Amino acid sequence: MNPQSPATPGWSRRSFLQLAGLTGATAALASCAAGGPAPASTGGAGTGASGSISVLVEAGGKAELEKVAALFTQQTGTKVDLVELPYDGLFNRLQTELSAGSVSFDVAALDAVWLPTFAGALAPLDALFTDAVKGDLFDSLVSGAQINGAYVGMPVWTNAEILFYRKDLFEDAKEKAAFEKKYGYPLAPPTTWQQFQDAAVFFTRGTALYGTDVKGAVETEWLAHVGQAGAKGLVLDPSGKVIIDSPEHLKALTFYSNLNNTLKVAPPGAAQVDWGGAQNLFNQGKTAMMRFWAHAFPLIPTDSPIHGKVGAAPMIGGAAGVGGVPGPWYLSVPKSGGKAEQATKFVQFAYDNNALSIKSSLGLAARKSAFAEYAGKPGYEHFAALTATLDGPATKARPTTPKWQQIVDTALVPMLQKSLVPGADYAQLLSAAKGQIESLVS
Amino acid sequence: MRGVGQKRSTVAALWVALVVVVALFGFPFVYLVLTSFKTPSDAIAIPPAVLPRAWSLQNYTAALQAPGVVASFVNSLSTALISTALSIGLGVPAAYGITRFASRAGRVFMSATLVTRMVPPVAIGIPIVAMANALGLRDTPTGLGLAHATISLPLSIWLLCSFFESVPGELEEAARVDGCGRLRALWSVIMPVVSGGVAVTAIFAFLASWNEFLFALLLTATRGQTTPIVIANFQTQFGLQWGPMTALACLYSVPVVVLTLFLQRRIVAGLTLGAVKG
Amino acid sequence: MSDRRFALLLMVPAALFLSAFVAWPVVKLGWDSLFDTQPLAGTSEFVGLGNFADVLGSADFRAAALRTVVYTVFVVTCEFVLGLATALLFNALGQRSRVFRTIFLYPLMIAPVVAGLLWRFLLIDNFGIVGQLLSQVRVLSDSNAIGWLSDPDIVLFSVAIPDIWLTTSFMTLVLFAGLQNIPGDVLEAARLDGAGARTMLVRVILPMLRPVIAVALIVRGVDAARAFDVILIQTGGGPQSASQTLSLLIYQTMVRFGEPGRAAAMSIVYLVVLFVVAVVATRTIWSPGGEQR
Repeated sequence: MNPQSPATPGWSRRSFLQLAGLTGATAALASCAAGGPAPASTGGAGTGASGSISVLVEAGGKAELEKVAALFTQQTGTKVDLVELPYDGLFNRLQTELSAGSVSFDVAALDAVWLPTFAGALAPLDALFTDAVKGDLFDSLVSGAQINGAYVGMPVWTNAEILFYRKDLFEDAKEKAAFEKKYGYPLAPPTTWQQFQDAAVFFTRGTALYGTDVKGAVETEWLAHVGQAGAKGLVLDPSGKVIIDSPEHLKALTFYSNLNNTLKVAPPGAAQVDWGGAQNLFNQGKTAMMRFWAHAFPLIPTDSPIHGKVGAAPMIGGAAGVGGVPGPWYLSVPKSGGKAEQATKFVQFAYDNNALSIKSSLGLAARKSAFAEYAGKPGYEHFAALTATLDGPATKARPTTPKWQQIVDTALVPMLQKSLVPGADYAQLLSAAKGQIESLVS
Repeated sequence: MRGVGQKRSTVAALWVALVVVVALFGFPFVYLVLTSFKTPSDAIAIPPAVLPRAWSLQNYTAALQAPGVVASFVNSLSTALISTALSIGLGVPAAYGITRFASRAGRVFMSATLVTRMVPPVAIGIPIVAMANALGLRDTPTGLGLAHATISLPLSIWLLCSFFESVPGELEEAARVDGCGRLRALWSVIMPVVSGGVAVTAIFAFLASWNEFLFALLLTATRGQTTPIVIANFQTQFGLQWGPMTALACLYSVPVVVLTLFLQRRIVAGLTLGAVKG
Repeated sequence: MSDRRFALLLMVPAALFLSAFVAWPVVKLGWDSLFDTQPLAGTSEFVGLGNFADVLGSADFRAAALRTVVYTVFVVTCEFVLGLATALLFNALGQRSRVFRTIFLYPLMIAPVVAGLLWRFLLIDNFGIVGQLLSQVRVLSDSNAIGWLSDPDIVLFSVAIPDIWLTTSFMTLVLFAGLQNIPGDVLEAARLDGAGARTMLVRVILPMLRPVIAVALIVRGVDAARAFDVILIQTGGGPQSASQTLSLLIYQTMVRFGEPGRAAAMSIVYLVVLFVVAVVATRTIWSPGGEQR
């Protein structure tokens, strides 16, 4: 249900940018050491390596790999077929084909939460994880790649939800004056739950404009708020105990659902609003603020009424401070694939040329050096918001359990949808979900 | 029912009712076509409008340029042709055997065929995937065509039986007296008579495969993907591509619309025959 | 070679095909349902009827079964009522209505996936045209007054609309053909007896259409009970699983959660019930003596 899903143990707590700067030099060296574009060596394989490999990728993430794939073909003569599927369809296909032990692809891009589910059917990539490589990837991405002692995926890009807001509204003098008069503090992109609620209420103008959206069909955004509330873990604690009925989870659900139920600052039909729906509402100018994945920032269509009027800020924070749910994706090679050698070579190549991904429409990457190369360049304003969010004290990855998708589909999403009915008993919903999840993970 | 003292006002009211009903039924499709000619962001505008703000072919170019779309049309076509050929090739002799030589086995076979119609595709889908894997036919039009024939063959046998039944028995007997073998009689005497019925059956077999979704979802991945799957895949999490999706849906409906226009009478005959004679 | 053997021989290829691709998968399904299989872990353990006990005791399964029944009854009833009304309309207007019959035929030819998508697009909150148009003609107070696809209380009926839209024409055409086969003198005689329009319909027309109605209802009932793509495209079974019918539940259990044993057990139960209902329905409403095949 999440396009850009998270990972594993929390995102690195160290300052993202600082780190990126420090390791910039080593990274440059590392990329050479790791083989760089090295046309000579890869070209040599070209004698027998022409032919093609197919790479399964989530439809939105396809853009990330297009440039890498084109360069790979150019240098090795191996054609790369990027096969795109919707998020759910991708999971279903992986499940079917990896279960059957016969696959139609050579490489697949996997959401981090899927790695534990499919680890047993994925080829170990330990040889690729040299010290130099590990040094240029964020710790959480490296540890997320390792399941039962083997590295089964190479990080390609990572993402997190940030706050999108309408600059034209937030910087309007009249709005600013009216807001300050009403709330007693100046209007600015909100950083806390309270400010977020205030701004959302303030900008809700009948059916013409809503403060923000509430997404009932996806769970990751609520999970980000759970982290912000200071929970020890999202749904499960580090030991695997179900803690969805904890006070932090309740606080987050109350905050999340009350935007719809009591404050009524969200457009109707919240129960079925998913990422695409929320994005369209914002792009059509129907919402003043949107919590959304950072990659969407450069994707606002030029013919949208709000094009050029959007600002990006870090995700809001709760009692525990700013927090998001990191959404890294990994490239993995199936054990049962026939072209393991070329597939592995492609994975290595994608790592080496990670910076190319930034130039794609998603504009995301996984390597510190790649982010460092672009930080501060025009058109990448959302990077600051993204890195600040990933670096937030309350940022937490989703738990590592093979049953995660099932927990999301059968417990979390229905629970959220039930909570979006005025008068819903949040505590009771959470404790019911706890029972369901316990029966799944036991 | 007709022509007996119907008042003019009653007739007028009935016509109005008819026009309203047909308009209501036609509107969704008209809206689909109109939407396909909007610009991509106009297609998902809030609030929506029936007519495009500006007519545009952007959705069509976007849909046709999307990877795999053109290939999927070829796949849909070859899959449908394979499954139609199988249904007719196996269905004609079977239906002939059932109707011409009324026997217990024929009746048993007919009921068994009807039972297969009740099997939910989702139930047999998974074993069929395993079989296609074993045969090396996964993700190919042939594999999917075989799977689609499990749907269209029973339907074809059912329809063909109705057509064969309407052939007078004497015709075949006459042929046999003339010294034709039984197969010859089928081929050169009976077939010409029922060719219309076979054509109708073929249309239905073709449509069943052309429009099928579940088996295509389970059995194809990349090379063999049919257009319904591509259409559904436009619904990604990363944005609403409804404009291009409606354009593709319109394009995919064109052959069907044309077919219906030209073969309307036969299709109606085929639809009603099985049920009415049933 | 005797005629009988020749006939058998003609049936053999089709019979072999259907045994291989329908009967064998069903047998395989039955076999699979006896095992608790974890395909990714590569383990498989014989559990006898454990999966069946598990499935029949599962609230999700029972809820999905109930939804399948509600969905089927709703779809078939609406189609029958609308189909009969339009068939009577066409019949009353005779040949002059032929053009309209052609237009009416179109939805039947459209791919269900296109229909599902189209109706999702028509009904979805905020940018659906149906709510918009209804609010413009003041039927609804605002365009989002009804959460067609987001309100769990009504979503099961909303997702049925494309199915009804697609196949009412089948009902109409079949009933229309049946109506045309009613001998004029029977109707005339009833009229001379002073029967009003309602009496004619209930006492004369419907009884005479009985075999046709039976076939149409059974064919559509079986199809509606197996509905998959229209629902998947519109809601994916949500919200709160309120539009998750058996087909979707089996698909989810099998493909998404990778539990082939449970999915197989569900399929077997589903198949058997569907079969029994269809046979009972056929026996009860098929006109006696009318079965030639």
